This record gives sequence, structure tokens and C-alpha cells, in this order.
Amino acid sequence: MADSKIIAEPRRGGVVPAVILAWLLPGLGHLYLRKTTKGLVLLVSIMALFSLGVSWEARLAPYLGLDDLLAFLRSIAQMAMGLPYFIARSLGFEAGLVTAPSHEYGNTFTEVSGLLNILVMLDAYDIAVGRKSGS
Amino acid sequence: MSHLVALLLFSALVSVVFALLQREGRRERIRFGLMTFAAFVASALVVGWLMYPFPS
Repeated sequence: MADSKIIAEPRRGGVVPAVILAWLLPGLGHLYLRKTTKGLVLLVSIMALFSLGVSWEARLAPYLGLDDLLAFLRSIAQMAMGLPYFIARSLGFEAGLVTAPSHEYGNTFTEVSGLLNILVMLDAYDIAVGRKSGS
Repeated sequence: MSHLVALLLFSALVSVVFALLQREGRRERIRFGLMTFAAFVASALVVGWLMYPFPS
């Protein structure tokens, strides 16, 4: 199967730290794997998306109940941003402003930034195990 | 902030991430990123145009 072929030298002991670092800060896993340019561009792009969302009055308060599945999923998506999400909450950006015209844009931007970070984590994993060169 | 600016910012930033993750090589990434950006913007404009007759 072509997809599972090892195409680069796996980094021994680097898989778990790479994925955890990738979750903590977008692009940090790639920087750890020495994919510097890619890591920096991912960091800037995803952080810009998240920061714009927060500045547009997104709601960051977690919703972990299963009675509203969509609210639960959007909370999980935002949490996938890692440290920036928790820092923004601790700085008082938790509630958002539902009456602001940009509120829904803010929600979308913060949720999508978290979802993109999940893809970045998977990419860091693929590079760490040698499935992708990541150059 | 207008709707169009939000659309352009979203499309540009997401296209950059998609291009980096989905393609390898500078030329391929630029090509894929531009195509993704154009697809985002064009599809949003088409859907917006289709929804124009609906009451707000």
C-alpha cells in the first residue's frame, strides 16, 4: 500500500513529543522535527485565524454536555487549539459578545483554527514516523 | 470589518495551511494554495448570489 510506505527516516522517540507540542502550539511539533519554515508558517497562519476570531468576540466558554451535540463539538474544536485557547480564556475572552455583528465570524474562525490544528498534529505524526518527508 | 474582508482573510489563511499540509514542493504548494483560495471565494460568492432572493 503506497500510503503506508516509509519514505523518510523516523525520528526515534520523537513521535509523542511532536504530537503533544503540535497540540500545545500550532507548528511547534514541526519546529521540534526541524521543519522550521513549515512550522513557522503554520504557526503564523493558524494563530492569525484564532486571534482574529477572539478579537471578533467569539465565545470560548466550554460546553461539555451531550444534550447539545453541536455546541459540544464546537467546544472540542476550539480546545484543539491548545495553549492559545486556554490563555485567551484566562485573559477574560471567554464569554464573547453574542450581540456583536462579528460574533459568528469569531466563532467560525476559532473553531476552524482548532480543526486545522488537528490536521497539523496528524501531519507532525506522519513526519515523525517517517510516512512523510514534510519538506 | 466587512463580510468580504472576513471571507478573504478566512480563505487566504486556510488555503495557506491546506497547501502546506497537502502538497510538497514550493511550486505545487503555490498552485494548490491559489486554487483553494479561488475555490473558497468563488463558491462563497455563488452561494451568496443564490441566497440573494431569500428574506434576511
